[in-house]
Amino acid sequence: MATGLSAIFMANRAALLRFLRARGAGEDAEDLLQDMWMKLEAKDLGPVSDPLPYLYRMANNLMLDRYRSATRRERREQDWAEGAGGVMADPTEDIAVDDRMVLNEQLDQARAVLRDLGPRVEMVFRRFRIEGVGQRLIADELGVSLTTVEKDLQKAYRAMLTLKQTLDTE
Amino acid sequence: MNEEALGWVVRTRDPDFADWDGFTAWLEADPAHASAYDAMMLADSELDSILPPEPVVMPVAANDPGVRTRRPLRWIGGGAIAAALVATVSIAVLNRSDIYSVTTRPGETRVIALDDGTSVALNGGTTMRFDRKDARFAALDTGEAAFTVRHDAANPFRVTVGDTVFEDAGTIFNIVHTDAATRIGVSEGKVIYNPQAEAIALPAGRALAEDAQGLRVMDIAPAAVASWRQGRLVYANAAVGDISQDIGRSLGVTLTATPGARAMRFTGTIRLDRDPALFFAQAAPLMGLTAVRRGDGWLLQEGPTKEGNGPQS
Repeated sequence: MATGLSAIFMANRAALLRFLRARGAGEDAEDLLQDMWMKLEAKDLGPVSDPLPYLYRMANNLMLDRYRSATRRERREQDWAEGAGGVMADPTEDIAVDDRMVLNEQLDQARAVLRDLGPRVEMVFRRFRIEGVGQRLIADELGVSLTTVEKDLQKAYRAMLTLKQTLDTE
Repeated sequence: MNEEALGWVVRTRDPDFADWDGFTAWLEADPAHASAYDAMMLADSELDSILPPEPVVMPVAANDPGVRTRRPLRWIGGGAIAAALVATVSIAVLNRSDIYSVTTRPGETRVIALDDGTSVALNGGTTMRFDRKDARFAALDTGEAAFTVRHDAANPFRVTVGDTVFEDAGTIFNIVHTDAATRIGVSEGKVIYNPQAEAIALPAGRALAEDAQGLRVMDIAPAAVASWRQGRLVYANAAVGDISQDIGRSLGVTLTATPGARAMRFTGTIRLDRDPALFFAQAAPLMGLTAVRRGDGWLLQEGPTKEGNGPQS
């Protein structure tokens, strides 16, 4: 498999290892790197437009998945201990009708929060967070600077994360 | 709230993010940074449940926030570049002898189980290609297929549709591909449209259509995704032109529609019936249409009885 990706991987092995360690992988960093290598070996990707960012992205996703499953396990154990049935609602599961009503109320509150941020901030946040569009493209579309888009996003995130926190503690 | 961590969430979440050295330096500055970032990323992903699913709307004049023009956005410029990038990848992947192709006749369905636990259900009139050596690859050349993907974040499942690539993020989804359009609906998990280019994320309950009018993102009831597998077709404000293609594929009948009928729209559920005569007797009135036999096939036309003298739209 002499694709460019594995050559880039080998050339940047040390930097990727350093990233995984900084990212909190600790002594598992080597193993994670080995997992990445096996996956790259196995799949013959063909040309990737930006190989190094792709590899970093892959490493970062591995760490996010680790954190997510650890947190989920922790919460499940906690629920179990509190006698809540031991099963945490999976976000992908079907939602019961009364939960659906609560959810609709929460959506209305989220809509209000986004509206209050003003049309540009709302637009930027929706494009970025819901549609997954890059900030450079959004800036070009709206004819504003990249810095403005980033500030808009931080503003919207702060408002939405605060709302989510309020809803969760209610 | 950790402002620095939030800044890095916003930056690294960008599909074009490239400053991984800068990110590493920030992480190394303090061991607490990594966990702050992880916690913030988790909080970010938990926003999914309260994100209003409406299509993106263009901002209107600031002094008139009450009135909104609901205009789906289109990406014209980016599309050509995206297509060019993806084409390189597809050619490199497809010119190999391990590729095999599966075709269903109209009205016939078939389920392909891939080695990694993923299953692909092909509706009638569909041609797909798979790779014996790579269970994470599939290409939909024409027709309709429903995907139930075993998710692996580091090795995502990718479906190539023409010049477009869909990448799963733990997912059940359905893709229709005809000469004129590509439509995808997501019922569970998330799919990324052209991850190397536009990278539009489609969470459950979202759909994307790409046709002569451009690219649009919209809502879809998760239960309506791949409903053909349960012998039903579920629509919200869908064009009869698209619906008649779905029916033709699912029942294996040749179905045409008059231009007037094609332009009409339908919301509701149509139950599929193996007997075309029975099916059309029930389904056509539901859509405000009549179906007549034409040679070997059927023709959908606008209803014969127009009530009153109202304007005909």
